[in-house]
Amino acid sequence: MKLELRHVTKSFGSLCANRDVSLVVESGQIHCLLGENGAGKSTLMNVIYGMITPDSGEILINDVTVQIHDPKDAVAQGIGMVHQHFMLIPVFSVTENVILGSEPLKPWPLIDYRGAVAHILQLSSEYGFDVDPDTTIENLPIGAQQRVEIMKALSHDAEILILDEPTAVLTPQETDALIVVMRSLKDRGKSIIFITHKLKEVLAIADVITVMRAGEVVGTTTPQESSEEALATMMVGRDVNLTVAKATGEPGEVVFRVTDLVVEDDRGLTAVKGVNFEVRAGEILAFAGVQGNGQTELVEALTGLRSVVSGSINLSGAELSTLSVREILEAGIGHVPEDRQRHGLILQMSIADNLILDQLNSSEFTGRWGRKLKAIAANGARRMSAFDVRAQHEGVPVATLSGGNQQKVVVARELSRELKVLICAQPTRGLDVGSIEYMHRQIVANRDAGVAVIIVSSELDEVVALGDRIAVLYDGEIQAIVPPTTSREELGLLMAGARSSSFEGAPA
Amino acid sequence: MSIVDSATLQPNRLLNFALRARRANMALVLVLALLVGMLVGGVLIIVTSPAILTSWSSFFSHPGATIALSGNTVWFAYEQIFEGSLINFHSLRMLFDQPGKATVAASLAPLSATLAYATPLIVAGLGLAVGFRSSLFDIGGQGQVIAGGILAGYVGFTVNLSPVLQVALEMLAAIAAGALLAAFAGALKAYTGAHEVIVTMMSNYIMGLVLSYLLIQSFFARPGTHNGISKEVGANGRLPAFFSHLDTSLLVNFGFLFALLAVVGVQWFFTRSKTGFELLMVGQNPEAARTAGINSKRTTIITMALAGGLLGLAGMINLTGGDHLLTNNFGGSYGFDAITVALLGRNKPWGVFFGALFFGAMYVGGCAMQNYTPTNIQFSLAQVIQAVVVFCVATPALIIEIFRLKDNGQFGAATKSGGWAK
Repeated sequence: MKLELRHVTKSFGSLCANRDVSLVVESGQIHCLLGENGAGKSTLMNVIYGMITPDSGEILINDVTVQIHDPKDAVAQGIGMVHQHFMLIPVFSVTENVILGSEPLKPWPLIDYRGAVAHILQLSSEYGFDVDPDTTIENLPIGAQQRVEIMKALSHDAEILILDEPTAVLTPQETDALIVVMRSLKDRGKSIIFITHKLKEVLAIADVITVMRAGEVVGTTTPQESSEEALATMMVGRDVNLTVAKATGEPGEVVFRVTDLVVEDDRGLTAVKGVNFEVRAGEILAFAGVQGNGQTELVEALTGLRSVVSGSINLSGAELSTLSVREILEAGIGHVPEDRQRHGLILQMSIADNLILDQLNSSEFTGRWGRKLKAIAANGARRMSAFDVRAQHEGVPVATLSGGNQQKVVVARELSRELKVLICAQPTRGLDVGSIEYMHRQIVANRDAGVAVIIVSSELDEVVALGDRIAVLYDGEIQAIVPPTTSREELGLLMAGARSSSFEGAPA
Repeated sequence: MSIVDSATLQPNRLLNFALRARRANMALVLVLALLVGMLVGGVLIIVTSPAILTSWSSFFSHPGATIALSGNTVWFAYEQIFEGSLINFHSLRMLFDQPGKATVAASLAPLSATLAYATPLIVAGLGLAVGFRSSLFDIGGQGQVIAGGILAGYVGFTVNLSPVLQVALEMLAAIAAGALLAAFAGALKAYTGAHEVIVTMMSNYIMGLVLSYLLIQSFFARPGTHNGISKEVGANGRLPAFFSHLDTSLLVNFGFLFALLAVVGVQWFFTRSKTGFELLMVGQNPEAARTAGINSKRTTIITMALAGGLLGLAGMINLTGGDHLLTNNFGGSYGFDAITVALLGRNKPWGVFFGALFFGAMYVGGCAMQNYTPTNIQFSLAQVIQAVVVFCVATPALIIEIFRLKDNGQFGAATKSGGWAK
């Protein structure tokens, strides 16, 4: 099926989200839509899916103009969408989720459950989904949940699938599996619109790449004619430095030492199994590993959010493992949490308020007569310009900012305290190229200022680019601590659990 | 009637102006909610009055008479509500004709009654709003009002100090009682995860039964009675009325001053105080608050104590500014009405203030309407109007839909799905 957009324009107030956008998706084509956060990709997809009515422009399917007023129309036209945040019911089974809303009633009013299961098994084998129809959604890994979403769209006879940043939530292995699924969809003549800002994936899978910037299409190209650098430049509108400019560090003495740390996860299973490491002042220790190997629990333990079963966390001679979150923050630990919206920000509050969330005890912001609103606002304005947070003013709610700007608010807050150790979990998740570049510069600048930095990231590129040393976590243990010159194959093997003797004894 | 006419014309013009702008804001939503409430009330008056219904059967022979009767009845009903709760134009004219103690008192009477009824409700509504802002649903307002009343009463009829000290002591006792009761629920939530809605709701029954028990104990009950009446608070322990020198029926008392102070205090608490900010943090995103080093257990207990303290104070004001004694009906439905008031005021201190005044006006005005013999409309009609207004304010999306207003994002998303305590 061929989908065409002609001159689509959509404004929200004074902001033009899409300006005269035209796009052709051929049948059996994987069409990548690339652009920074706020470039208008999501608006455009919502136009196609009928969630937004454009101010002008038309949508054609197989060269015939169609009217799409709501998602129901879109589904009827053979358009399916997999949202970034899944629309699944966690306590329902795979089958129940797939048939939800279009239950096969045979004989009426009974649900033909067996028929539905058979249909899912058939889809599953046809496209290589590998999902058990009877499993409950909440017991499935993220990657499999995503395949259920795709199945749901296919069961509605979708001919065009819109995948909105599908890889943002996936591990590298899951991403590979998704790419296999996408190829098999393509082989069966389905068209795919693939939204992402990960350049490597685009080059790996796209047939055609359309780049958007500030609501407009700035160019259309193919992987053969393009490169990562060229795409990044198109996206951002200027040359982007994809490698992190970083001088060799000058590590000082050890400031942070973790010994035999054992931590349990929410279910009471041991998630961190006796981890040992040290970080020196002016050094970045980057943790690599497939998500779910104890990273989250490790960071939570280091920042006091999760109680420590045994072992010690030592900051320049002071034991942190028994202190409260407040005391740990005040001891000089900065924390950029993994999920900024859930743990880092209070979305309804203003930028200025979010910039002082963990600094209420500071006499700069709280005086005898309560919070110093003027000082808080002034601090907000100052930090906003220092960290290049793009918003109208410091009083707007953080919820209205883009992901990159939200992350800048978190980082601006953490870096405004006197830090000895900075712990960043997934510092650039979901951010666009420009923001990633900025975030990396900030992290390196702090290292150079003598802060001991701990990075936890599931992006191998990031770990290699930033780390002065790389610790690979697998199943709650540090497999090895290796230099960043280690080849990706070796890192990949370590992440997969191989423990070669050549890596042993690496901890300094 | 000319004064009334120009007074009602003015808002009409404003309304037209506002409607042309079609931009939804809270004031406009409120005005429209009131309008919808009055429309529904008007229809109800017409369909429930036998006299009007009889005249409708002869509608085709005398359409004018039917419409005039319907219109007049509705008009008189609303006139009674207005004049009974705010300004009685008749007594106002008397005041200008012959100024004196009696006429001053008569013209102040409706407003005084409204304020007197609203005073405990303001304080109680504030208490619940404090909890709601922190996402804690204190449903135990009634129990905390009773707890405050019991302890304030006990102090009131056992201690005999100078007036200021006596009232201050009663106040402290009431605040402590409410705060302890609520903080207990808060502590249960913080340390065991027991849901505060269930715990506080059950505490309502407990406090009601504690009161019944006390009312048959000799140290609490009025000597020589067995019909559930407590002793009386001594003269020094009563909140003095502002205008008692004019007329003893002018009930508005110093409790209103305390209520105003409480409004300003809660306003300050949320905008300026560190604890208030922490409470908002926990209310809006408990996980981010924890990550920022806020002790959410402590905050939960403090919030509940604050909420309960205010409700206890409401109990004390109700006791010492009203009948000065406790019965099994003590507190009326203040604890529950306060939930609605907090909702009506959207958990904002001044919103709660005006929400409580509206409740007071509808109560007092409703009584006046019922007592007005020519029409004799039931008091419940005032409650219907009140309910429709609350309903519309609770779902601004409805008003926005009915009047096709432009929603600037202030209401729609938040109220359609976000829950009402935000």
